[in-house]
Amino acid sequence: MRETLRRVSLGYLVLAATAVAYLVVYTSRLGRFPTSFDYLSILNTTLPLVFVAIGQSLVVLTGGIDLSVGGVVSLCVAVTAATASVPWLVVVLALGTACGALNGLVVAYGRIAPILTTLATLSIFMGLALRVLPVPGGSIPPSVRLVLTNPGTPTGLGWLGLAVAGWLVLRRTRFGMRVYAVGSDESSARAVGVPAAAVKLKVYALSGFCSALAAVFYVSTTTAGDANAGTPFILTSIASVVVGGVAFTGGRGSALGAVAGAVALTLVIDILFFAGIDPLYQSLFQGLFLVVAVLLGTVAGLVARRRRSS
Amino acid sequence: MSRLSPGARRILYALAGTAAVLLVGALLHPGFASWSSLRVMLVVASFTGFVAAGQMLVVLVGGIDLSIPWVLNGAAIVLTTTSLGQTSRAPLAIVLALGVGALVGLGNGVGVAWLGVPAVVMTLGMNGVMQGLTLGLSKGLTCASCGSYAPSPLRGLFSGGLPAQLLLWAGVGVFMTVLLTLTTFGRRVYAVGVNPRAAFLSGVGVRGVTVALYTCSGVFAALAGIALVAYGGQPSLGLGDPYLFESIAAVVVGGVSILGGRGHYLGVIAGSLTLVAVTTFLAAQRVPEYGRLIIYGLVILAILFAYGREKAHD
Repeated sequence: MRETLRRVSLGYLVLAATAVAYLVVYTSRLGRFPTSFDYLSILNTTLPLVFVAIGQSLVVLTGGIDLSVGGVVSLCVAVTAATASVPWLVVVLALGTACGALNGLVVAYGRIAPILTTLATLSIFMGLALRVLPVPGGSIPPSVRLVLTNPGTPTGLGWLGLAVAGWLVLRRTRFGMRVYAVGSDESSARAVGVPAAAVKLKVYALSGFCSALAAVFYVSTTTAGDANAGTPFILTSIASVVVGGVAFTGGRGSALGAVAGAVALTLVIDILFFAGIDPLYQSLFQGLFLVVAVLLGTVAGLVARRRRSS
Repeated sequence: MSRLSPGARRILYALAGTAAVLLVGALLHPGFASWSSLRVMLVVASFTGFVAAGQMLVVLVGGIDLSIPWVLNGAAIVLTTTSLGQTSRAPLAIVLALGVGALVGLGNGVGVAWLGVPAVVMTLGMNGVMQGLTLGLSKGLTCASCGSYAPSPLRGLFSGGLPAQLLLWAGVGVFMTVLLTLTTFGRRVYAVGVNPRAAFLSGVGVRGVTVALYTCSGVFAALAGIALVAYGGQPSLGLGDPYLFESIAAVVVGGVSILGGRGHYLGVIAGSLTLVAVTTFLAAQRVPEYGRLIIYGLVILAILFAYGREKAHD
């Protein structure tokens, strides 16, 4: 339990550090504090990644990985933008969940390694996205935009709160406990009667649902769709989960950490922008940030262990 | 069949997969399996074969190398900016490009083996670092020397009835097979892959082996970069991006266990060829891009179902 606390708090520490860095860089550059408009734009641009990261963290908690998030986001972005109507949003969410459930079926019942399953389905979903929306375009009803990512009022904050609350409830349910059980030690979990395959199926389906949500928010912020929109989310969602302190071996960490990681990663881009660093070097700093954040976690772990043993 | 070792059976499956794809292709599209078409496919598959060689080494110890795309791209740009298209500067350029690959691989290995960073994170971060450095230092390929072509001897790799590139690939194949099956180092690689703890307790320098493998992976990615720039003449940005998932797919289709400890390079050669044959066939059939992506994914899934499944529990 203490281990979980330490890992989660690391994600928050990283977020706090990047937030301070953001404030310092912003104020020293522009000579004033960020306005509510800045906060709102950060919030709205982060939301899609936050949702994908929550889904990814659930999968990683079971010891898996979901590379197909890029494909699911792309497909759902394509459908959302191409249909541009409110009733279709329900279809989009169902579609994302179905895509995730397909992954779950292959992983849990087909017994194919998650990284390989989702690699193959990534290609399939990307293909479908391209079929739906061959050229970037489409739109979203303004009413949806006002409710989801209103550029004037922080409606996004409510959705973020809902996501966090959803996780807090989920982890206290029987299903939530089982996710951790399967991730910590699958054969032990099986031995005490946890239906590991069913848990995995649900986790991948949830990840698909989260990706679909992310897609809707993505179209809402950008007001247009692109069949390749999901690709960056593959690596950034994994990075968010890692920075958020979720262990790749499964069973340790929390989706909240991943949320913190996602916000921190987005802030890093803003920091680089306001620091006047050539955008071409952007991924250099993101890469360093990722490795350093994880190294800090390792060092913190070593220090904690040494202190406990002495 | 039952007398064959599981390792040999996996290679056979991979070869059978390639044969099946080529056969279906030849039936539906006359001339698909002719030598001229095969030669093109072999050349294209050799690039995948190079990156997959490095990826396989890392996967054999249960790791993964996500830094391949930008190591490849970085090496390709180092090659042209150093050689400036002059034959006399080619050896220096090749050494430098391979050196970049080795250095990045070494960094990955040290991060994974000594600092305990998970392989996914370390190599993902390194990919970002290399991407940033490549884009930043070449200023998005607008620098004066970035427009240079690869030196002409390198471009000669691809001419002739039997391109030298294929001989190079065969050389890589021999090297990988000898390294993994006939040397002490090879035995250690499989030992670490099957059970790192047991390997460590029986005296294998697990960290040293890991670092060596990641370094090799970097060198192979750089080699692919050199070969690709020699093939295309000039480097481009994003040159390596398709090779990230392609290398993993080739390794797995080639019968290498993603969990480590099992697999041979012969299978990976077959895997690379299968993937390229599928793509070539779909392009020849004028299947639109979305269809190609979908079918490509379905083929990988089908192959995984055929021989990539994990053991049942209990």
